[in-house]
Amino acid sequence: MYLDAGSNNLINLEMSSVAKAVPAFEKKRVFDKWKYWQPSQISHHGKICCEIAREWITATDFSELNGDCLYTGPRWLRQRFKWGASAFPIFWCEAVRRDTLDCGALAAISHEVFRVRNVKTYRVQVVQKFSEVAISQWTNSWNEGNEPLPWVNDDLIYHEGCAIETANRQLKVWDASAGWWLDPKPASGYGALLAIRVSGNNLPIGKILKWGKYNLQALEWREIF
Amino acid sequence: MREQVKSETFKGSNKNKGSMKIYISGLYSGTNPQPGVGIARSLRTAFPGAKLIGVEYSNRCSGIHWKDFDDIWLQRPWEEINLTTHAEEIRKVLDSGALWISSIDLEIMWFARVFPDGHPNLLTPAAAALEQIAKPAISAHEGLPVKIPTFVTTEISDWDLHAFCRQHDWKVWLKGPYYEAVRAGNWMEFEERRRILSKAWATEKLFLQTHVSGYEESIALSAYRGKLLDCVRMRKRDLTELSKTWAGDISEVEEDFLRPLREIIRKLDWTGGAELEMVRDADNQLWLLEINPRFPAWIHGSTITGRNMPAILVEGATGVRQQISPVLAEEFTRVVMEIPVRSEYPLSPLPEPLGGEIGHSLKHPSGLIQFASRLHKTDIFNEEITEENGKTFFNAPKVPASFIDDLDSFDLHEMQTPASLFLENTASGNFRSASELVKELSSDELNVTNAYSIKTNPDERLIKLALDSGFLAETISILEVKKAIQIGFKPEQLILNGPGKWWRQEILPEGKFYSIFCDSIEELEQVLEKLENGKTRTNFLGVRLRTPNVRSRFGIPIDTPEVFEKLIEAVRRIPKKYKFAVHFHMASSNVGVGHWWHLFESMLRWCNSIEALTGRLIEILDIGGGWFPEDLQKDSAENFKKAIALIPEFLPNVRRIISEPGKALAQPTMAVAMQILELRNSAETVTEAVVDGSIAELPMYFFFPHRILYQNAENGSWKSLSRGKTRLLGRLCMEHDIVASNVELPENAQVGDILVFCDAGAYDRSMSYVFGRG
Ligand SMILES: [Zn+2]
Repeated sequence: MYLDAGSNNLINLEMSSVAKAVPAFEKKRVFDKWKYWQPSQISHHGKICCEIAREWITATDFSELNGDCLYTGPRWLRQRFKWGASAFPIFWCEAVRRDTLDCGALAAISHEVFRVRNVKTYRVQVVQKFSEVAISQWTNSWNEGNEPLPWVNDDLIYHEGCAIETANRQLKVWDASAGWWLDPKPASGYGALLAIRVSGNNLPIGKILKWGKYNLQALEWREIF
Repeated sequence: MREQVKSETFKGSNKNKGSMKIYISGLYSGTNPQPGVGIARSLRTAFPGAKLIGVEYSNRCSGIHWKDFDDIWLQRPWEEINLTTHAEEIRKVLDSGALWISSIDLEIMWFARVFPDGHPNLLTPAAAALEQIAKPAISAHEGLPVKIPTFVTTEISDWDLHAFCRQHDWKVWLKGPYYEAVRAGNWMEFEERRRILSKAWATEKLFLQTHVSGYEESIALSAYRGKLLDCVRMRKRDLTELSKTWAGDISEVEEDFLRPLREIIRKLDWTGGAELEMVRDADNQLWLLEINPRFPAWIHGSTITGRNMPAILVEGATGVRQQISPVLAEEFTRVVMEIPVRSEYPLSPLPEPLGGEIGHSLKHPSGLIQFASRLHKTDIFNEEITEENGKTFFNAPKVPASFIDDLDSFDLHEMQTPASLFLENTASGNFRSASELVKELSSDELNVTNAYSIKTNPDERLIKLALDSGFLAETISILEVKKAIQIGFKPEQLILNGPGKWWRQEILPEGKFYSIFCDSIEELEQVLEKLENGKTRTNFLGVRLRTPNVRSRFGIPIDTPEVFEKLIEAVRRIPKKYKFAVHFHMASSNVGVGHWWHLFESMLRWCNSIEALTGRLIEILDIGGGWFPEDLQKDSAENFKKAIALIPEFLPNVRRIISEPGKALAQPTMAVAMQILELRNSAETVTEAVVDGSIAELPMYFFFPHRILYQNAENGSWKSLSRGKTRLLGRLCMEHDIVASNVELPENAQVGDILVFCDAGAYDRSMSYVFGRG
C-alpha cells in the first residue's frame, strides 16, 4: 500500500544476483501472510446515495478519458484522491467524498471504471518490497498508536491494483495508487514486485493469463523472479 | 542480437588498437545533450588504448573538458567557419587512418555532400540513406511495425493549416526542418511560434505533426556498410522538462521488429549509429517520430547494460576486437556532476545582457542554427512536402464559387470602404442546405430541427432567412427575444439560454417559449418559481451541463459529487408538467473537431445517468455551438447520422434534436471589402501594405485566418491570395492592428486595389466596433 517510489534509502546493488541464485522452494513464500486476503470492495447501500456516487465516478471517467484509448489508466482518480488510510467497509457515497483513499479502495474504483468501459478487468493483489524507513513512516502515519500494520511484514507490504486484458490477450497491471502500469519483469530492492495474484468474479479457476513473459494462473499467488 | 565481427586487419594506419585514433564530434553537454561524451565513455571502456579526439565548434560546449578525450580539436563556430578549409582538413584526418564518428545531425548531412562516395573511415551514413530518413515522411520505415503520425507542411495556406489544427484538436507540434518542436494550442500561438521558428531556421518549410500520446521508446543501432551490427530497445523511465531521456531501461529488440530493420539497414547501406524515436500508445501501437542519423545522447546507458554500440561500430569498421563491456545493470540514469575545466580551454566570459533584457540571451553555443541556415541556402535536401495522407493541398485556399457570384454583384469601387458585404446567394444556399440536412436526418421517431443563434450575427436578413427556413431561434437576452419577435418569430419558436437571459426582463413578451435552459442550479430554482407564479411560460425546461474536464464558464459544473447530487435532487423536483431537456454547446473550432465529438458522447453518457437517477426522461437535446463551416459540411451528414444513431442508445426517449450550428451558417455569409492605401517595398518585394480596413471590422483575426480575395482592377477578376511575405497593416494607429500576415500580393497590385476578406459573417460582424472614425 505504498504511495510512490522514494529515493531516501540505500539499495543493495548485490541483491539482484543473490535473489536470483536462491531457488524459490527454499524460501518462505513472500505472500504467506496475505495468502487468504481477498481484494478490497466498495460497498453499496442499495440506495440512491451510492448509485449517484457510482454514476458520478464512471461518467467522470468517461469525460476524463478525453476520447483516448479505453486501455488508458484512470490516473485522474489519483489526482482527485490522495493516498492514505481508508476504513472498511467503505460505501460508494462515502468514498467519493473522501480526500484520501487507500490502495484497495482506489483499485476497486479503477476496476469498476474499466468494467464500465467494457474492458476485461480483474483484481490484483501484490507483495512489494520496500525499506525499514518506508515501513516506519507508514506505521507512524497510518495509525496514531504506532500499532504494526496488518499489510506490512518486515520490509514487505501487501498492495492492491487492478488488471486489464488488452486486445492481444496480454494482461496489463494498473497500480491505481501510483498512477502507472507495473512492469512485468523481475526486480529486487526498493519498490520491487515480488508476488502477484489475479482474481475476479468472471475468472475461472486455473485460467492462464499472460503478463509479459509470465503465465499467471487465475486466483493463485505467484512469485515473480 | 549482436553480430560476430570478423577479425581482420584494420585498413588504416592504425595497425593495432593501441594506436587507433578516433575523432568524435558533438560534445554539447547541457540538458539536451549531444552524444559525443557518451560515445567517448563507451569507446574508452572498449578500447582503453585508443586515442580519442573530441571535436567541437565552441569552447562553451562543456563536453570538451571530459577526461576521456586525449585531445580536443576545437573549431571556430559554424556561423564563421570556412567550410572548404574544414572539409579539406577532415579529409586529411580520414586519409591518415583516423576514424570519425559524428553526433551532429547537420554535420552528418554536410559530410554526405563533402564525401558523396563516403570514406572508409567516416562512420556516418551517405546522402541517399539520409534522404530516406528525412522527416516527417521517413520513407525508410516501410516494413517496420510502426505508423507515422499525420503531418502537413506549413507551406500550405493558413486556411488549411487552421483546418488541420481543428481536425487534430489542436494537439499538434510545429517542427523545425531538422529538430526543435513546439506545441501550438491555438491560432495566435501557432502564428507566433511559426514566425520564430521560420526566422531561426531561415525557411518557411516547417511542418505540423499530430501529437501521439503514450510512452516514448527508442531503438539505437550500430551498422557498417549495410550490416546491422547490434541494436537495443530503450524505454524512457525519467524525462527532462524537454522530454529528453534522463533514465531508461534497455532490452532486446523483438524479432518482428528486428527482421525488417535488418532489411532496411541493408537497403540503405547504412554506416554509423542511428536512433529510431518512437511512441507506444495505449493500444500498444508504435508511432515513429524520427530516425536520427547518429547514436542517441544516452548511448552510454546501453554500454552500462553490456551493449556497447559505438564499440561494435568501430570493431565492425576496423576488425579490431573490443574489450567486452561488463553488464553493470539493466537500467541507467543520469546525474549532474562538476568536472575540472581543461587549462588549455579556460572558460569564456558571459556575454553582456542586452539592453532592457533579462538574462544573457545565450544561443546554442556552436551556432548550429546558423549552420542550418547556411546549408539551406545551398539547397541541401530541399524536399517537397505537399501531401497529407494522399491529400494534396494548395498554397492558396479554395473559395466557393458562390462567393465570387455574390461579389460580382457589387461595384466595390463605388462603395465607401471598408464595407461589410452581405453574400446573399451564399447565405440562402447555406440555410437551404442546413434545412435539407435536418429533413434528411429526421425520422418518425426523432425530429431534427435547426436553430439560429441570434448573437452570432443579429443581422435582420439572416434572422429572416432562419425564420423562412423553418429554424427555431436561440436567444441569450430579452432584447434578442424582442428582436426575433419583431422579425416574425413567435415565442414558441424561441429558446432562451445563457447566464444572463433575464436581462431586461421588464420587456419580457407574453407567450410560451419553446424551451428555457438554466445555466445553474440556482437559476433552475428561480425559473421554477417564475413558472409557478405565472411570470413566464415554457414548453420545455432544461439545464445546460458543464461536464468535467471542459474549460468553460457555462452550465452546471458536475465535476464534484456534491453538485451532481444537488442537480439530481433539483431535477427530481421539476413538476412533471414541464418536459425535461438538456443543452450542450461547445465551440468545436476551439476544442477541435474530434474532441467535440468526444464531449458530445460524454454528455450523452451524463444524460443517461441523469435519466436513470431522476426517473425524468430527457425529451429534447439541444446541441451545437461554434462549428467551422468546413468542419460541419465536411462529412457533416455522415457525422451527424452517426451522432443521431448514437442518441437512442443512451437516451431512448429523446424525440427532438435541436441543432445549433453556430457560426457555420453565418460565417461565410459576409465579407469585408477594403482598399490598399499604401505599398511599402524593401529589396524589390512588397513587405507591408496599409489597408483602410482594420481589426475593428475583423475582430476574429486573432482566432482564425480569413481567406482573402484580390480583385484585378483592370478586368475585375478575383484571385485567392497565397501565402507570401507581405503583412497587411490595418488603418488604426494600434500596434496589433495587422489584419493579415504572410500573404502574397499580386505583382501588379496598386494603391486603390480592392481586397475582400471572406469568412467575416459571424463574430467578426457581431463583435465589430467603431474605432478611429472620429
Ligand atoms: Zn450510500
